[in-house]
Formats: sequence, C-alpha cells, structure tokens
Amino acid sequence: METINMNRRSFLVTSAAAGGGLVLGLQIPFGMTTAQAAETVPEINAWVVIKADDSVVIRVARSEMGQGTITGLAQLVVEELECDWSKVSTEYPTPGENLKRNRVWQSFSTGGSRGIRTSHDYVRRGGAAARMMLLQAAADQWKVPVNQLSVSRGVITHGASGRKVTYGKVAAAAAKLTPPDAKAIKLKDPKKWKVAGKPMKRFGTVDKVTGRQVYGADLKLPGMVNATIMECPVFGGKLKAFDAAKVSGMKGVKQVLRVGDTAVAVVADTWWHAKKALDGLPVDWDYGDNVKVSSASIADVLKAGLDAPQAFVGNKTGDVQSALKGAAKTVDAVYSYPYQNHAPMEPMNATARYTPDKCEVWVPTQDGESSFAAVLAASGLPADKCEVYKIDLGGGFGRRGAFQDYVKQAVLIAKQMPGTPVKLLWTREEDMRQGRYHPVMQCKLTGSLDSANNLTGLHMRLSGQSILASVRPAVVEKAGGKDPLTFQGVAQSGEHSIGYSFPNLLIDHAMRNPHVPPGFWRGVNINQNAIFIECFMDELAHAAGQDPLEFRRKFMADHPRNLGVLNAVAKGIGWTKPAPKGRYRGLAQMKAFDSFVAAACEISVDSTGNKVKIHRIVAATDPGYAVNPAQIERQIAGSFVYGLSALFMQECTVKDGRIEQDNFHTYNSMRIAQMPRVESIIMPTGGKVWGGIGEPTICVAAPAVLNAYFKATGKRIRTVPLKNHGIELV
Amino acid sequence: MNSFDRRRDFLKTAGLAAGGAALVLPALASPEDMRAALTKITGGADVRRGRVKLQLPPLVENGNSVEFSVTVDSPMTETDYVKAIHVFTEKNPQPYVINAYLGPRAGRARITSRTRLADTQTVHAVAELSNGTFWTDSVSVVVTLSACIGDLI
Repeated sequence: METINMNRRSFLVTSAAAGGGLVLGLQIPFGMTTAQAAETVPEINAWVVIKADDSVVIRVARSEMGQGTITGLAQLVVEELECDWSKVSTEYPTPGENLKRNRVWQSFSTGGSRGIRTSHDYVRRGGAAARMMLLQAAADQWKVPVNQLSVSRGVITHGASGRKVTYGKVAAAAAKLTPPDAKAIKLKDPKKWKVAGKPMKRFGTVDKVTGRQVYGADLKLPGMVNATIMECPVFGGKLKAFDAAKVSGMKGVKQVLRVGDTAVAVVADTWWHAKKALDGLPVDWDYGDNVKVSSASIADVLKAGLDAPQAFVGNKTGDVQSALKGAAKTVDAVYSYPYQNHAPMEPMNATARYTPDKCEVWVPTQDGESSFAAVLAASGLPADKCEVYKIDLGGGFGRRGAFQDYVKQAVLIAKQMPGTPVKLLWTREEDMRQGRYHPVMQCKLTGSLDSANNLTGLHMRLSGQSILASVRPAVVEKAGGKDPLTFQGVAQSGEHSIGYSFPNLLIDHAMRNPHVPPGFWRGVNINQNAIFIECFMDELAHAAGQDPLEFRRKFMADHPRNLGVLNAVAKGIGWTKPAPKGRYRGLAQMKAFDSFVAAACEISVDSTGNKVKIHRIVAATDPGYAVNPAQIERQIAGSFVYGLSALFMQECTVKDGRIEQDNFHTYNSMRIAQMPRVESIIMPTGGKVWGGIGEPTICVAAPAVLNAYFKATGKRIRTVPLKNHGIELV
Repeated sequence: MNSFDRRRDFLKTAGLAAGGAALVLPALASPEDMRAALTKITGGADVRRGRVKLQLPPLVENGNSVEFSVTVDSPMTETDYVKAIHVFTEKNPQPYVINAYLGPRAGRARITSRTRLADTQTVHAVAELSNGTFWTDSVSVVVTLSACIGDLI
C-alpha cells in the first residue's frame, strides 16, 4: 500500500518528467516544480529510471572524458540499488533540468579529481532509496512485510512463498511511493561490495573504438552551418577591423562576424571552407602593451621574486632563518616550470542554436552548469529559455571546466544568425594559442644540514603565477592576497598537505602574474611542486651522503599513508637490491586530491646522456577507496603518458606577447613505443575521506625520472622540458 | 510563480526570527555586516517584499563580473518616486554593491550594473521610496565552482 502525501500529489500534478515519478531530493529534497514526466518510463528517483523490460538507466551529472567516472558512479548506484549490472546504461541529466529541480543532481563540475570522491555518498543513497521503494512496492503488491523480501540482480524474492518479481514489474508502483529519508539510510560497508570495487568494463568503449561515438566535433544538426574563429593572439589585445569583402566571395562562405571585442569568426557551409576563408581574412588587431612580453621578460620577473622581501606564507614550522644561520652546510637550488597547454585531442567546440525564445547548446564540457551559466550570460535569455546538452569529451584535462570561452563564442555567433544551428570548432592552432595554460613558476630551495648531516631547515620560495588571482580573484581576496592553491602538495593541511615533518620549514610565494591566462592543467600546482620538493629531497640526501629513500623516511613518521605508498614502490622496484647493470632508479611521493601516490622508476641513459629509456615504473596509489580498480590502473598509466610528455616535450613559450607553439609538431606528446611498463599498486586504506584518481599520479612521474637521471649521469636537471637540454625519451 | 512559496517560507522564518515584525531582510541576512549595512540605510525602518524586481542569472560561471538590474514599480512623478536603490550581498567581503540615488527626473526607476560575487549566495535589492517606505527583492545565485578549487571556496 502506498502512502500519498500532499507534497507528492502536488508534484504529480505539476510534474511532467518520467511517469509519475518521484524526485528524491536527497540533501535537497523536493525542489521540483516543473519537472517533466513521461507516462511510460518510471523514474524511481532522480538517479534511477527503470523500464518495464528491467533495463535500468542511471543518471550521472559528472562528465565522461575518458577517465571512467560514469562507470564508477554507476557502479556505486547499482551497488545499493541491487539491479542487474548487465542491464544498466547511463545518461546525463541536463543543467537546465537540474536548475528546475532545485539542483537535485548537485554539482556537475568534473574537475579536481572530484567526480567520485565528492558525490559517492549521495549517489549511493540515491541507489539505496530506489531499492527500498522497489521492495516496498513488491511488498505492497504481495501484502507482506517488506523485511521478508530479498533482492538480487533486480529480482525480488519473497522467501516464504517463493514468489518472485523483477524490478521492471514494480517500477511504476515504486515511483508513486514516498521516498525514504535519504540521510537515514544505512549504506553498505565497502567490504561487502559486489559491483563497486570490481573491475567492471567501462561504458561506451565499443562505440569509441568503432567510431560510433559522436563527439562535439562530429555533431551534425539539420540545417547546421560551420564556424571557426580567431581571437587576438596577443592576450589582452582587441579586434580593430577586418576586411570581410576579401573573403565573402570564397566558396561556401556565409558570414564574417565580429565576436565580442576580441575575435572574428567565419561561418560557412563546411568547416574547411570557413577555415580557408579565415586564413585569408585580413585582420587588424590592437595588440596593446602585452606585445612586448616574451618568455625571457617573464623569467626575469619571476627571478626577481625569488629573493623579494614580500611573499605569502603557505606553510611554516619553527624558524628557518635561525636554522640556516646555524647550519654546518647549506644546499640551494633554483628550479623552474614552464607554461603548458592542455592540448586535448578534440579542439574546443560548441554547437549553438539561438532564437529569441530558446537558446540551446550542445557541448563537450567538464561542467554542464558552467556551460549553462555561459549560455545565460551570452544569450541574455532567462534560464527557462536556455538548455545545454552535454556530450562526452574528446579530452578535457581542465581546459573545459572553469573556462567556457568557446561556449560564449558559439552563442554570440548563433545570436547573429537566429534559427540556424552553428557549430563552432576551433582550429588546432587556435586551441594552442588560446589555452588557459599551466602557470609558470620558479622555485629557490635552501636546506640546512648540521655537522652530523641532519636536515635542520628548509626554505622553499616559490615565485610565479597564481591561477586563482586570474580565475577566481574573490578567493585570493578572501585569503588576504594569497593564493592558497599555489601550495598544492606542500600545504600545511588539507587535501594537498606536505608528506614530511621538518624541524624548521618555510614555504612562501612571491606572486608574479604575467599576462598569459593561467588555468587548471591536470594536477594543477602539484606538478611543479612535486618536482621542486621531491628533486630537492634527493639533492639534500645526496649532500648528506644518505640514501634518498632512507633520508625521506626520517621525516615521514607522522605521515603513515605517504610512507605506505613510498614503501610500496620501493619494494616494488626492489630499491634495496642493486639495479640491473646500466639501470638507475629514482622515486618520489606526494599527497594530492586526498590520495597518496608514489612512483619509482628504472631508467637507462645512453653514453651521450641524451637518450633516456624508462624500463619500468612502479606506481602506488592509496585513494581510501577503490571503486573500479581496472579504471584506476588505466588512469595511473595514463597519468604517466601525460606526466612524461610534459617532462620531456611540452613547453609553451611566449614571443611578442603570444604563444609560439601552434600545433603538435611544436608541442609534442609521447608515442606508444616510448611508453614504459607501468606496474600499479592500488592500496586503499579506507577512512572517512575519499581520494581522487585522475590527477595525483601525474606529479610523481617527473621527479622520479629526474632523480633517476641524476643517479645515472650525476647531472641535476632543474628546468623542464628535457628537450631543452637535448634529452629525449626513447 | 516559482518564488512565491519561498517568499512565504521566508516571511514565516523572518517573522519568527524578527519577533513577528515586518523587518524582513535582516532576518535572512546572515552576516552581521550586511545587517549593519542595511540598518544604516533604513535607519531600522521596515523593509517589505514587493514593488522591486532584482534580475540576476540563477547560475553564473565564476562570479567575476555578473550583470544585474533592479526595476522598481514606481510612476516616478514629483510626488511618488524612488529616492534610492541599494544592492547588498551576503557573502562578498563588502556587503555593499551599489547605492544609486534617483529622483523624479530619472524618468525610470531602473538601474543596471555588474558586480563580483565571491560565492554562491543571495543578493538583495532595496528601494527607498519618496514616501519613506522601503521595499525589497532577493535572488539566490549559484556560482558554479568549476575545476579544481572546490574546498577553497
């Protein structure tokens, strides 16, 4: 028997979505006023739709970009739902629907390695609530107490009578029940997981390998036209004028349009025609003063910051200055890290259709809600006249989340051609020139050793660019001018806390912000901070005449999980045994995004010192919980593709105020033959906090290899990429 | 209308919190400095819902520059006009966004501007009329916290 309350009645009246379905608000209950309901497909709650044929659709708000988050999140829902995994598919709710339903799916943001770790709780509760409603519906039908029922893989059984019914048969009735209090639901102990925690195959792989998957770049809508764009290549510059007449007669060209103050776009029948016309378009830019800036001038500014009196303190213990004064020996070194671009395989794109009554956008995005906000701002239409349809991403890496410039551009173009769908697809060159780059940073490290070669103090002075000062100045303002994100991996506390306890420590940041727009590049500030701290730990160990592993361990007694992963990789690589002849080892560890990671590698270097072969990498991760170990393993391996490409090959240089690299021939990525064997150790140790997977491991790739390179050659490399030193990965 | 229920709940809560008085806004204004800022404007007078329409998108990308408008239902005549429009935020470092002073010759009781929003929060607009009454509207805005900075906000 169902219980009907007024809330639900009023919902049923006003709702239109999935078949008299209930929206289970979880932390934000009952926000729906305009939810649309179909009559035939029972939505058990916001997360779960069950069809009469027992197929199950799990709604996932986070975006899939190859990291496997959709599969992992579906596993968590299914674990509690107890349906048949083989009948599960997934779909994205739209940001517009989320807003209408009082953000029932909560955040859509897919960045910061947060997909699973910040939503595991509410998606599992969503699955559990749906299971309870389905069981109750069966109990009502059979008129038996619900606690006499059991369920396995979507089949409900009444043990005493032997009756069975599938989820699909009771879904419609379940959808009419009052949802249980989500907060009161007791979730399963992860130790008892049957679907979560298992190496389930990723959704969508067949479509991807057979080319059936439609990416944003492939999208075709009826009557669609194609656009490409060029924004002023000097950041901060403006569009003065362009001579449309020169290209408007070219084949297929429909429009040549100003887009905001800074860009010009060509719209044509095909993308290639648009590109050819844009290539031939005379454009007059107002470059502004930034045209004088170069990599060298930026480096000078950062260098001055290394000794500047003013700096924001990020981490401090004891009195470093006294330790340095009283040192028997000091060690110092200056490191630097360049600009890098995300360079996803699929360039930025969005497809928009605008009329004064409706603006719709189809876009690969790391945050559907951010895209939606960009559509609202660019279209000028109210929220109920806008919608965003998310498409799986052909790579994101942080470019497609906090920055929705390409979405705004698409809408601004479509607005000038009402009623016509416009696909805006950037050229590779535009994607290289208009990145939101990994920030530049220099770092001066000074360590003090006493006469017994004990480390007594460490000063780490960062000088360089703040991402948040550019992207979220309100956060910097709140922190009194400091960018707390700069200290990722070496912070005093939190998800990026340092993995060592030193007697005297000072980590400070002289903020120097060049005009190049910075962004969140997969791993963000852990990438440079891991090189700085982990290579310098090796330098200190060397100066102290100690083994790098033993030296580190002295400061890790209070960091058992950091130590756990470090020990695991040391054991895995065979640290205490001699390396095979001609091979050399290096290691590194870090806590990032609430996961603990370490890597140890074994390399050989040819007699010139210029060719590096990585034979093995052992990588350990303690993310607290492992929702899909197979996906984690692939993410770890993929992290080395990204991290080693960055280490050996990737740098964006600045000349005349603009980025010089314009395609993969000048901004390269490693190839499969260069890929080392990666042996991953997944060692979740539980606890209250779940860690992320997508980013942490990247940062340990570079320092592990650089430390091994020193072992092999006696040379310390303190600037990357290694191509600048004539060193290549073979 | 969507905001009607919320407004009613709001009035109820506000009534409880403010001892049943019609002093609506301060009851919701969580930070003390915003309450103080408002009192400075109103001198403690009642602030009532209605007549004011604050327009602001429900979702914004990063909050760095958010366009808004405030329109007041007023004939803007010599005897009945809007004297001032004030906009406040709850979670910005400064509660004040703008104090705009108008008169009958303004013609229209409408202002538009841009503001930075430090976080997801409610924004309030208050209009002071020539008869000395104060009217208000508020909008909740979500600043989508993208990418890698979730716990810093």
